[in-house]
Amino acid sequence: MNVVVCVKQVPDTSDPDTEVHIDSSGRDVERSKFSFVINDADNYAVEEAILLKEKHGGEVTVVNIGPETANQVIRMALAKGGDKAIRLEDEKFEFSDAVCTARLLASAIKDIEYDIVMTGCIATDDGYTATGVALGQVLGLPHAAYVKSVEVVEEGKLKVGRELEGGIMEMLEIQTPCVLTIQTGINEPRYASFKGIRAASKKEIKLMDLAATGLSEDEAGEAGSKSVMVQYSVPEVGELAEMLEGDAAETSGKLAGILKEKGLV
Amino acid sequence: MSIEQGTFVQKYDLLGCIQCGRCTGGCPVTVRTELNVRKFVNDTIEDDRLEELSEKPEIWDCTTCNTCALRCPKGLDPFEVLLGLRSMRAEEGNIQPTARDALESMFNNGNPWGKPAARRVDWMEGIEGVEKVRILEPGEKADVLIHICCTAAYDPRIMPLAKNLVRVMEAAGVDYGFIGVEEKHCGSEARRLGEEGLFEYFDEENTELFGRFDVNRLVCLSPHCMNTFKNEYQNLNLPVMHYTELVAELIEDKKLELKNEIAAPVVFHDPCYLGKKNNIFDEPRYILSQMPGVEPLEFLRSRERSLCCEGGGGKMWVESESKEQRLAETRIMDAKDLGAKIVAVSCPFCLLTLEDALKVKGLEEEMRVADILELLGEAM
Amino acid sequence: MSDIFVLAEHRQDELREVTLEMLTMAGGLGSPVTAVLFGSGVNDFADKCASFADKVIYVDDPTYENFNSAAYQAALVELIKAEKPGLVLIGNTGQGADLAPSLAVELDLPYSSDIIAVTIENDKPVATRQYYGGKIDGRIEFKDADTYVLAIREAATPAGEGGKSGEIVKTDNPVTTEITVKRFLEYVEAAIGEVDITQSTALVAVGRGIREDKNMPIMEELAQAMGADLAASRAVVDAGWLPQDRQVGISGKTVKPKLYLAVGISGAFQHVTGIKGADLVVAINKDPDAPIFQYADYGIVDDLFKVVPALTDKLKGMKG
Repeated sequence: MNVVVCVKQVPDTSDPDTEVHIDSSGRDVERSKFSFVINDADNYAVEEAILLKEKHGGEVTVVNIGPETANQVIRMALAKGGDKAIRLEDEKFEFSDAVCTARLLASAIKDIEYDIVMTGCIATDDGYTATGVALGQVLGLPHAAYVKSVEVVEEGKLKVGRELEGGIMEMLEIQTPCVLTIQTGINEPRYASFKGIRAASKKEIKLMDLAATGLSEDEAGEAGSKSVMVQYSVPEVGELAEMLEGDAAETSGKLAGILKEKGLV
Repeated sequence: MSIEQGTFVQKYDLLGCIQCGRCTGGCPVTVRTELNVRKFVNDTIEDDRLEELSEKPEIWDCTTCNTCALRCPKGLDPFEVLLGLRSMRAEEGNIQPTARDALESMFNNGNPWGKPAARRVDWMEGIEGVEKVRILEPGEKADVLIHICCTAAYDPRIMPLAKNLVRVMEAAGVDYGFIGVEEKHCGSEARRLGEEGLFEYFDEENTELFGRFDVNRLVCLSPHCMNTFKNEYQNLNLPVMHYTELVAELIEDKKLELKNEIAAPVVFHDPCYLGKKNNIFDEPRYILSQMPGVEPLEFLRSRERSLCCEGGGGKMWVESESKEQRLAETRIMDAKDLGAKIVAVSCPFCLLTLEDALKVKGLEEEMRVADILELLGEAM
Repeated sequence: MSDIFVLAEHRQDELREVTLEMLTMAGGLGSPVTAVLFGSGVNDFADKCASFADKVIYVDDPTYENFNSAAYQAALVELIKAEKPGLVLIGNTGQGADLAPSLAVELDLPYSSDIIAVTIENDKPVATRQYYGGKIDGRIEFKDADTYVLAIREAATPAGEGGKSGEIVKTDNPVTTEITVKRFLEYVEAAIGEVDITQSTALVAVGRGIREDKNMPIMEELAQAMGADLAASRAVVDAGWLPQDRQVGISGKTVKPKLYLAVGISGAFQHVTGIKGADLVVAINKDPDAPIFQYADYGIVDDLFKVVPALTDKLKGMKG
């Protein structure tokens, strides 16, 4: 069972105190004050890939698009049990949309022998929930999104559970090779020890630039994307809680109204 | 993992153990957990049992309070064996998610709290009577370099301790400075969660960081940081003190005046890493005695026999499976029985665990838990 | 712009609300709206869609009894080729996000996902979506195409009243080949009594403010009225009023619900660290200075024993 797992390095914005500021270009955020981590869902994908390898044998290849600093998340995945790694980097990849990103990933994956390609189901920075599913189509493979359980039924066939709204699981059979986008909570990701990460830094990370992908300049980055994020803006939200005033009958009425309006009850 | 023969025997001098049982006999957590440290010292002699022993959940119950080491007639550190077992788990990556997240945050953010490194200096905002905390430039001279600790830098409940430390420095005219946003985790909790490699990383990083400044001594807000810098760093050539040592010195030299009444019966809870581990018992008591109106009380179990609050040893991130009463709750009830109105501490972890226990016991109206730095802030 | 297609979403005998939300959204964009419904014997869904759309294309075929992205995609490809809509809206849901990106790739159409607002400028859609967990908005423009595909976030706009009477056009299944790469098996409901709060979409979290074990039923009632699970601060778990697996915070679970209602929780840092993934935080606490209000989106300063029963009544009233 050979698995390719795609990982993204993202700013750690999980803490509510993290401030996100738009930079002067209006198309990126100030990155100097962030610490960078593996995307949460990708972390679960790495663990699932390694669990499959431990159970069924085979190799795990880690694929990333990112700058040299992304080596840290790649090494973390290698420390946990990954075997090989590829990192794609080229300034011409900038502003790739989800579909274009899928094409870039596919260019690196197509020459690997694999049964399953895994990605996280969502990234915490741009939240597309699209790259993995698009990747399936680019590779010409079936896919399943929001996967919360994976079981090998027989050679060439998996039984997977997809998590839907309300915690309902949609169980389905899918042929391999296929692409699965992994939902958080599918497993409990292991810890990559500091020594393990240091040791993994001896493993080779194969580098690919635009030329190595075999794609043209028109197929990468903004040029290769049909959707373009042109301008960031700050949504209007207050710092402190909006206080609901009045007696219990009034405040509870207001709150019920808000929850209803937001579709939360 | 492969373990060389005699790993633990050599590392922890296990053959020196005479199995007298004084360690387990004094261990405070035995009343609420399965932990039997004597047995671990005995069993870890056999290398082929290490794997199995490292999987026992009770190795995570140890708070590293140092009682077993103090009681050992052969001068061993029995609890270190448990840390050795923890490090096997950490190296395999098989640790509790809460501990994993804390360790990953130490690596990524330089603090165990999952907080952005960039916000490490937020506590400096709005310090009464202090316009600007002095941030040292590389090469700059100062008598005292203060180390704030991750918990005081990020936990809003503990931030006042950091603010008060600066107020004390300013009021007493101490030539002090602070590293600023580059200050990072000391590595103490990394080591206690079994992450030796990460601890060594912080040792190197912080030694290099401190070396940039021309200072005479390092004064720590937390006894945990102090202990690590003082006793566990390999090449740090800088005298390390706890703030209570410096403050006692300042009061003695009449540089710090305490004039406001605290008027209450106050019992001091000895933090394990200050007392049992570093023999600092008198300075906090001296400071309290110099506060007008303080009626000092003593726990029956005080000084070397002080009862651990269970905040150390990585326990902030690893919950015990035990349903028995927490030691912090026992401690609060003891304080109540003594008639104390204030339980004074000098450690961020003690403050958090004891205050939690106070709330669980519903005693918020009757008593309070306060760090000596908070009481100093009131008395100044 | 030519017609707007909206893909109807249904599951387990229910037409999902996101369908009506998207039909409402599409109705405001100035082009005729066509609901596309794949299903088996779901005439009532077709009727419902018709009251929100100018036209309903209804493919009634056993293939579509349950969702299968491969089957949906094959059929949509044929319909889009034949009808050439200007815009296709699909829910960014468990179903839609499993379908929309691959559909766009197959047809080589501009695509963006998790859209919260759409406008039409120069005969093209312009979309708004969120980045960094909602901390930043982004404006998405598209390169010229005949058709654009957008996946729309649930509850991005409220569903309107309907009131249209669109024509229902029953259409033969445009796909004749059998789908073999993927096969639907069954739905599995979460086991009762084994709540995993890390996966809950709504949580009512109980703190020390509840005072005594015997007060817990009012919280249980509120949670039930909200369709939420109960969570707790450490003090409540310590007291044994809720099991350990309900504990939120540093030494407990990190949760990521859409709604986190903190009741009688002061908001110690060790607790709020565990709710960093929550979308909307509401706090009820009698202490106006409780730090929880720094993390909450909405707050009520009052005695929980007054607010909680009142809120439970209001929510029950809305459902009934």
